[in-house]
Amino acid sequence: MTRDAMKTNADCVIIGGGVVGAAVAYYLAKGGMTNCVLLESEYLSSGATGRCGGGIRQQWSTEPNAQLAMDSVRIFKTLEEELDADIEFLQGGYLVLAYTDEDVEQFHKNFKLQRRLGLDVEILQPAEIATRVVRQLNTDGVRMATYCPSDASANPFLTTKAYAEAASRLGVEIRLFTPVTRILRDGNRIVGVETERGVINTPRVVNAAGSHSVLLAQTVDVQIPITPYRREILVTEPLERFLDPMIISFSFGIYFRQVKHGSVIGGFAYPDEEPGFNEESSVDFLTMMSRKLSFLMPALKHVKVVRQWAGLYDVTPDAQPIIGETDGIDGLFQASGFSGHGFMIAPRVSSLLAQLILGQKPDLDIGRLNVRRFSEGAIDLDHSVV
Amino acid sequence: MRLTRHPILEFDRGREIEFEFEFDGRRLLGFEGESIAAALHANDIRVFRESVRRKRPRGFFCAIGRCSSCLMTVDGIPNIMTCVTPLREGMRVETQRGKGTIPLADLSSAGSPPPEPRRDSDDGATIPLAIVGMGPAGLSAAAYAGRMGVETVVIDENLVPGGQLIKQTHMFFGSREHYAQIRGVDIGDRLIANLESLPVKLMLGTTVLGLYPDRTLSLLAGTRHMQLKADAVILATGASENMLAFENCDLPGVYGAGAVQTLMNVHGVVPGKRVLMVGAGNIGLIVAYQLLQAGVDVAAVIDAAPEIGGYHVHAAKIRRAGVPILISHTILRVTGPDRVESAEICRVDDHWQPVPGSERKLPVDAVCLAVGLTPNCELAFQMGCRQTYMSELGGPVAVHGPDLETSIPGVFIAGDASGVEEASTAMIEGRLAGLAAAEWLGAESDTDELARLRDEAADSLKTLRAGPFGAKAREGKEKMLSSMNEDKAGTQ
Ligand SMILES: Cc1cc2nc3c(=O)[nH]c(=O)nc-3n(C[C@H](O)[C@H](O)[C@H](O)COP(=O)(O)OP(=O)(O)OC[C@H]3O[C@@H](n4cnc5c(N)ncnc54)[C@H](O)[C@@H]3O)c2cc1C
Ligand SMILES: Cc1cc2nc3c(=O)[nH]c(=O)nc-3n(C[C@H](O)[C@H](O)[C@H](O)COP(=O)(O)OP(=O)(O)OC[C@H]3O[C@@H](n4cnc5c(N)ncnc54)[C@H](O)[C@@H]3O)c2cc1C
Ligand code: FES
Repeated sequence: MTRDAMKTNADCVIIGGGVVGAAVAYYLAKGGMTNCVLLESEYLSSGATGRCGGGIRQQWSTEPNAQLAMDSVRIFKTLEEELDADIEFLQGGYLVLAYTDEDVEQFHKNFKLQRRLGLDVEILQPAEIATRVVRQLNTDGVRMATYCPSDASANPFLTTKAYAEAASRLGVEIRLFTPVTRILRDGNRIVGVETERGVINTPRVVNAAGSHSVLLAQTVDVQIPITPYRREILVTEPLERFLDPMIISFSFGIYFRQVKHGSVIGGFAYPDEEPGFNEESSVDFLTMMSRKLSFLMPALKHVKVVRQWAGLYDVTPDAQPIIGETDGIDGLFQASGFSGHGFMIAPRVSSLLAQLILGQKPDLDIGRLNVRRFSEGAIDLDHSVV
Repeated sequence: MRLTRHPILEFDRGREIEFEFEFDGRRLLGFEGESIAAALHANDIRVFRESVRRKRPRGFFCAIGRCSSCLMTVDGIPNIMTCVTPLREGMRVETQRGKGTIPLADLSSAGSPPPEPRRDSDDGATIPLAIVGMGPAGLSAAAYAGRMGVETVVIDENLVPGGQLIKQTHMFFGSREHYAQIRGVDIGDRLIANLESLPVKLMLGTTVLGLYPDRTLSLLAGTRHMQLKADAVILATGASENMLAFENCDLPGVYGAGAVQTLMNVHGVVPGKRVLMVGAGNIGLIVAYQLLQAGVDVAAVIDAAPEIGGYHVHAAKIRRAGVPILISHTILRVTGPDRVESAEICRVDDHWQPVPGSERKLPVDAVCLAVGLTPNCELAFQMGCRQTYMSELGGPVAVHGPDLETSIPGVFIAGDASGVEEASTAMIEGRLAGLAAAEWLGAESDTDELARLRDEAADSLKTLRAGPFGAKAREGKEKMLSSMNEDKAGTQ
């Protein structure tokens, strides 16, 4: 957003202009570290963030994930005021549909855990769905559902822009179309980054480049276990509001919601998707997604799809993000591996990471998210990933 | 108003039927199969919907399913493009206010759940060559690829082949070899006749929604979605009309020239009683003449340029009929409560700025915009073909060489889609693309014959573009070629 020469010295360089990079930049500056530069190889939200569904769900199967999401919702609630921008935040709820025995068993476990944490989640019988939450939903085969009215959604473009502009107002330099070619280290510490527009000297780097963070880590001989997977998504023509909650099912394989503008946006994951950086759209997805939508909501048969696209999930072995400083390299902070749910936890995770970088003790211990967990063995897989 | 007598055309209308307009059950008459928009227009209904945010009245603009100005609620389903949806007996047509409401559906109509999705599933049929568009370019491409023995499918969203030609009632200009002196409406028939006994299949009423990197085309025929995989693809998708921004330019009664032609020459419905034509290029002049033929008064033809862009024979015909052609003039605004009632025009100076005090109000009920076209390259861009902006060719185009191949091997682009010109050049480009696709596919045909036909076509193209009217396209294509060669040199 600045036209004059790029800074050559900074206290921290953030790589990646997705929601995570922008939020980290903001929380760092808010905490007093304003001499920062955010580098983005294309434009803000050009990666997974701008391609995502914008859903904010607190219904998770592990306590840490549920906690992070609940904390994020708390932040989201006042974020528009804090950042002085509209981000289309809406608490329309999430309706999660169970189709199988495993679903039913898992949902009851989740329900107990989530209630213990104080979440306003409830169990619904299929017949209650129409009267309580959404008419026009075909509940054929649905065994039960959980519904959490305080689950939410927001516009990922507006959220990222709001964070970036607030960071910029506090003094952070934001450089778009500036790819980082290499992270620079001297022995066991970070000394800078090399970009296509010159070098910036800095003792701290935040690697928030989504799926591409693997490649950046490799430039300083660090391996992080992230595998990119294509995920496709589509959007329909806008309609008057008829649907408040996000509707999802892990076993049926779908998520969809109506965005503020009125379009329905949604997708599903192919179980046999090959890993890789492929971001092409496919006609099979268009066909299959249309069939899934028209099965669950027959009225949508008559609604036109206006666009489809794809983005990458940066998937870790336990579907949890990699957050924190890298052992053996002072000043290299990782913030990636969000495994398809990085938007919803970005506010909380980014502010915790900023505390760590600022040398403060984080409000919530995030040691368990450090990349070292993978060399230590024990990992805890969350079952609630779409 | 419907045309009953026309000096050139005869209208082969369907059965007269009743349909319902608005909730109060007002019954109107129309003809089965004509577009809903044309039927409403014939009943003097101009306002089809309200714009979403500012609640402004909207009618139709392009008449070919490109602009979304004509969306209405039909039989309870919102956002129906009435300009391309055929009228059926008993249809219920409503003005759409807001974004449209999700229709009520029978939940038991869902059927059985879809199967588990798989990436490695079978994609269905593959054919050697798919051609999108049945205008002069697409039909010529099919004829020449077919002649080389290539099995070909040609797809067009319209119900009749011919592209723009089906609306063109005038004698074509150009040389005899290129169908001069024949009316556009008749050229289409000849092009179709050329395809007889060739391995070419026509799919009408089918829109190509998407072209994917694996060469799959996604097709929509009515409400049926299909897919088709092709080894080679020729895009002959034509061009779309440009809009012009002025005060109230969205008021019903402001139409594209193509829309006026469609309404008048295909449906036999006139756009109004008195029309202002904006644009004095060939299209503006020809459509103005067609309006006169249909008994519509033309208040004036105006153009912001200091000279007439079209051929002087056309200009002379219009002047003889008493229509003033005002150069260095522009349109400032149109006025009217919910449809055009008058238009204000003024003179412009050497810097294209309005001259104060020169404003003039013309009582007209329609304004026709003939202000240029932009190539339809969306499918090429979606697939990932390299694009460049070339104002001489009408805007953003897919970069292509003299054989019409884009940056993706086996994907060709021809006719107005490769740069806006005219039907005669579109036909030759179609030929070249058809031959190049045949060669690319390794067609088992006489290679000498292929080379001969190609050289012949390349020569004709050169001749056609030699004159002053071909200069723009010639320059545009040359500029594109040199930028392409530079790119190649740069990557070596
Ligand atoms: C189809 C889809 C649907 C999703 N739906 C949801 C959802 O409903 N809810 C949810 O919470 N999450 C969802 N996600 C996941 C979510 O989008 C991501 O987890 C989140 O956006 C991650 O943000 P990020 O900032 O880490 O990464 P990104 O947004 O990918 O940002 C990384 C940025 O780094 C830049 N970059 C890469 N390399 C370099 C370099 N060398 N130099 C400089 N910059 C570089 C990239 O251009 C990119 O902009 C979805 C994802 C997809 C693909
Ligand atoms: C008023 C007027 C007068 C003219 N007079 C002359 C003249 O005298 N002499 C002359 O040489 N030229 C004239 N022209 C120009 C001539 O009509 C065009 O240059 C010519 O029609 C271009 O041919 P084309 O095949 O490239 O495209 P088109 O004729 O536009 O055909 C393209 C076809 O592709 C279809 N299509 C596009 N996208 C899709 C899709 N996604 N799926 C399915 N189908 C699709 C369209 O519906 C259309 O039928 C005139 C044009 C106008 C408007
Ligand atoms: S889409 Fe119907 S008028 Fe343009």
